[in-house]
Amino acid sequence: MTSPDPFDDLEAELLALPDAFDLPSPPPGQVAAAVRERLEEPARAPAKRRRRWQVAIAAVLAVVAVTALTPQGRAAVAHVLRLAGIEIRIGAAAPTATPSARLPGERPVATSDLGGLVKFRVRTPAELGEPDEALVSDQGRVVSMRWKAIRLDQFDGGLSPVFLKEMGPPWPEEVAIGDASGWWITGSHTLSYLARADGSRLPLRVAGDVLIWERDGLGFRLEGVKDRAEAVKIAASLRP
Amino acid sequence: MDDDEAIARSLAGDLSAYEALVARYSTLAHRTAAMLGAGDEAEDVVQEAFVKAYRHLSSFRRDAPFRPWLLRIVANETHNLTRSRGRRSELTVRLSATVSATAPDDPEGAAVAGDRRSRLLEAVRRLPDRERQAVICRYFLQLSEAETAQVLDWPLGTVKSSTHRGLARLREEVGHDVT
Repeated sequence: MTSPDPFDDLEAELLALPDAFDLPSPPPGQVAAAVRERLEEPARAPAKRRRRWQVAIAAVLAVVAVTALTPQGRAAVAHVLRLAGIEIRIGAAAPTATPSARLPGERPVATSDLGGLVKFRVRTPAELGEPDEALVSDQGRVVSMRWKAIRLDQFDGGLSPVFLKEMGPPWPEEVAIGDASGWWITGSHTLSYLARADGSRLPLRVAGDVLIWERDGLGFRLEGVKDRAEAVKIAASLRP
Repeated sequence: MDDDEAIARSLAGDLSAYEALVARYSTLAHRTAAMLGAGDEAEDVVQEAFVKAYRHLSSFRRDAPFRPWLLRIVANETHNLTRSRGRRSELTVRLSATVSATAPDDPEGAAVAGDRRSRLLEAVRRLPDRERQAVICRYFLQLSEAETAQVLDWPLGTVKSSTHRGLARLREEVGHDVT
């Protein structure tokens, strides 16, 4: 190290480098108008639930179009669905037994401490009452509650997928939970966790019947309830 | 109209106020998406991010700055795109052929500076993912450490260490012959 402050030169160079980038961006007014047009679109659709479904279909078509482009994509995955921070790949190989893994950094906490440990408002299903155990994972990204064989995960799933489910047919069944929609998934599927930093995949376990739904931008997955109506009833009882 | 007022009016359903907010952050959002790996698809990513931001606006904490909150959504959308394409998030920007930092009557000096810039960009491009993302956010986008932590959703310590390691690696590759 001969020069006295080598990083300063390099830092100054790095700060100046983007001036030389060839990075055209569309006129801001045009972008704003395009965004506004998209935001106004749903207002013309007839009903809320139908809109959501159309959005889901559009998303599916978009992703299917993409996966169809690569030979590996076509062979491995027939359809991809995204809802509430969960990505579902249908048509993947049937699940084989995977070692049971925990979520990154998963640790038990007192139910009363949950509020201070996560960034979103934690809800409890009134139907099930106080959980036997509450867990926080990945620096507050996921909250899990357990009642015997039942497990409820809640997470800030609006922006990027948190869980990945790989399964064969049948297609998940759309169900109504209050005025929101969710999906009921029957049969076993491979459940993986997608790491927050790089989306890398951590296989967790083979999961059974699961209900997933979204509420106020948060994603929920309820596992371990065999009966669909019972699962929907629990989902609809979230408080506060 | 400042950000807070625009957000308050957007939350009340005033789409013109949101349009103003979009216009204000559009260029920065495009640069962020393009540099974090969206490449030619930055326009789609940015539009999607602004639509999502509007739909999630009620979860935005009003006492916090809007810029890093928005850029985190842009970064997430970019990440979703590269992942769904099954490719690495690469820095695909190019240097403009016409830009010269030196005087036009000094073609030799301009060529040397241009060569230096392309080598530096190439070195940034080759950095490990985390170090590259940290360097892009801290220097190319000029975000603070705290903003970078929020945008990339990393702990602050990871931002500091990744930036430090990235700079050290860049220095090793191109730093010994500063012109």
